[in-house]
Parts: sequence; structure tokens; C-alpha cells
Amino acid sequence: MKKAIVCPGIGTGTARLAIALILALSATTALSQSSSAQDKSILSGIVVGVETDNNDRLTRFAVSDSTGTVTTFELSTNTEFGLENQSGDRWVSSQGEEPAESARRLRDHRERFAPITVSSQNGIATSVVEREEGKLETNLGYLFAVFAITWALFFAYVLYMGRKQRVLQHEIAKLKSSIANADRT
Amino acid sequence: MINKVLNRLDPLLILSAALMGVALYLIFIWVPTETNQGAVQRILYFHVPVAWGSMMGILVVSGSSFMYLWKKNEKWDRLAVASAEVGVVFGGIMLLSGMIWARPVWAVWWTGEAKLTTALILFFIYVAYLMFRAYFPPGAHRQRLAAIIGVTGAIDTPIIYFATNLWSQAHPPLVTGPAADADSTLGSDLGIVLLASTIAFTFLFIFLVQNRYKIRKSEDDLVELKRASSTSVMTGAN
Repeated sequence: MKKAIVCPGIGTGTARLAIALILALSATTALSQSSSAQDKSILSGIVVGVETDNNDRLTRFAVSDSTGTVTTFELSTNTEFGLENQSGDRWVSSQGEEPAESARRLRDHRERFAPITVSSQNGIATSVVEREEGKLETNLGYLFAVFAITWALFFAYVLYMGRKQRVLQHEIAKLKSSIANADRT
Repeated sequence: MINKVLNRLDPLLILSAALMGVALYLIFIWVPTETNQGAVQRILYFHVPVAWGSMMGILVVSGSSFMYLWKKNEKWDRLAVASAEVGVVFGGIMLLSGMIWARPVWAVWWTGEAKLTTALILFFIYVAYLMFRAYFPPGAHRQRLAAIIGVTGAIDTPIIYFATNLWSQAHPPLVTGPAADADSTLGSDLGIVLLASTIAFTFLFIFLVQNRYKIRKSEDDLVELKRASSTSVMTGAN
């Protein structure tokens, strides 16, 4: 029978502890996720309305999603922007730093029907970024490459170690039996 | 049936896999897209933890090499070899992930700036350490010299960590640790995900080192057995 690969000193008690820890972690993540899901949301769509004050500073904006539902977002000074112009230059700032420029950028997006992704909490936008799905080749391709290479290398290394250990165990067993035979004779 | 399967699995492997699952969920589903770089920024959650693993590796090599020089106990030498090999894997992934990330954000695969160059030197230190062990004749002399290389190799670690502070170039400034700039620290969501991913990769590192250590132990056992076998054959012949 194949022997279990267990670290010396780590028995089934530790295995149970590890499993309990995993279950606790999963439960905590699921609970925290379900509670935060109530007030956090991410929405992608087209800008349909931009509201400013007398100084042309952005106060509110509205986004229409793929079903035609219009959602209005309030802003805070911490609201972050990552929006591109028509030529692809990215502008990064926050509502606290450049409220007038953020209004101008959102109007530009409205005129071009350029989709955005808004992350919000309790109706207040926390980040307003270019919708990433539109750049699959340039962005997600690199992310996928890193993900694939990382896991391919780790799996290959684990397989290599498993194979090497099996070969060594086989050789050790063979030598042990040949020594035992030699001792008997 | 489930108990049978669980008893055959290493608890550390189960823990690493579970933590990795949580980290992947946080990276790809939970954390919002970063405003500056977009989706490609998620590479950070792989790149930084493997870089951490790579630096942790050289610290373990250095510490265990020092202990070997002091105590002359084989187990420290085994730990140094195991950690160096796992460190090469982490170091290689750190360099590859960094290059792939650099391409969309810097428009180049590689640039000769301080952080990248010192990280590449760390990879070469690992490779040199393993090559030395592979090609130098076995024995206590080899282990002693390898331990000296291992101890001196750790000098590169603080240089890598402080490189962006010392020579400010294209690489982003430190976002974690004692020398991190207060203005450039990660936001809470991004920080949580980076921490979760780092913990997951740390457990993976420990699991890999533990298994490589066992292989090294088996290799040493095999050498001993071969010696015993040849002795018993010679005794039998006499």
C-alpha cells in the first residue's frame, strides 16, 4: 500500500485541524461576501447623464446598463477615475482632485457611447473605469499568460517531485531487500 | 472513503490548495478593477507573493547554511538545498510574471533598472548555488563551500527590497513592509487581496520545501544504503 505523504509529527489530528480551518475560512469568506454584497456593487454601461454645479464640478452621473435600467450615482472626494480618451490615453485622478475634469471626461464618454464600469457602495461611486471587456486582447491576454505560466510551472514542479520521490522509494526498497538477502546468505 | 483520501493527503497541501482557492476568488471576483492599469493590475496578486517567496527562499537558504556551518548537522544542509530549489521556481516565476506585466504598462519586456537587475541577480545566485552543488565532488567540503555561498547570497535581499527607494525608476515604489511610502500604500480591498494571496503562496512555499526536503533525505538514505550494500557484498565475497 502506498504510504501517505505526511510531514513527521503531523498526523490525522492536524489534518482535521487543517480541514476545520479551511471550513472556517470558507464560511468567513462566504459570510463577509454575502454581507458586503448588499451594499457593494459593480455596474457596466453607457453614461446617459452628467450633472454639475455652478462651477462645472461633477455632482452626479447616470449610467444605463444593457437592460436599459438607469442608475444614478453620487460621488465622494475619494471617488477614483481611470478613463481613456479616444486615442487610448488614460486619465487617472479622483473627484477630490479634479471634479471639473471628471465631468468633462464623463461627457466625452457619453458623446462617444464609450462603456464604463462603476464600482459603488451605498449608491456612492468608489471607482469609475473604462470597461475592461473591450480590451480583451491587450489586457486579459497578459493576465491569462501570467496565470497559466505560474500554475503550469508549479504543477510541473510538483509532478517532478512526486515522480522523483517514487523512483527513490523504489530504489531504496530494492536495495533494502538485496541487503537483507545478502545478510541471510 | 473521504477519510481514506484525506488521510493520504498532506494537510499542508490541503491547506495551501484551500487558501489558494480563497485567494483566486478574491483576485478574480471580489476585488474591484484598479483605476490606473485596469485588469492587468491583477498580475500584482501573483507577482508580489512569488517575489516574496523568492526572497523568503534565499533567507531560508542563508539561515540554514549558517546553521550548517555552526552545527554541522546534515538536516540544515538538506533544508538549504530544498529551499534553494523551490526558490529557483519562485524566482523564475517572479521574473516571468514581471516581464509579462511590464509589456502592457511600460511597453517593454525588460529594462535594466535596479529592482529588476537585483532580482535577476538573486535568480542567478540560486542557480549558481545549485550548479555548484551539482558539479562539485560530493562531501563535507562541498557542503561547507555551498553553505558559504548560501550565507553570502542573502546580501542581495535587502538591496532588492530597498532598490526602488534607493534608485527611483520605472518600477512602482514599495507598497508593503516597513519601508513602504505612506502615499503609495494599497487601498484596503487591494491590500486584503494581496495579503490573502501572500499567505496562500507562503503555505505553497512551505509545502514545496517540505516535500523537496523529504526527497533530499531519501537521496541521502539511498547513498547510505548503496554504501552498506557494497560493504555487505564485499563481506560476502570475503
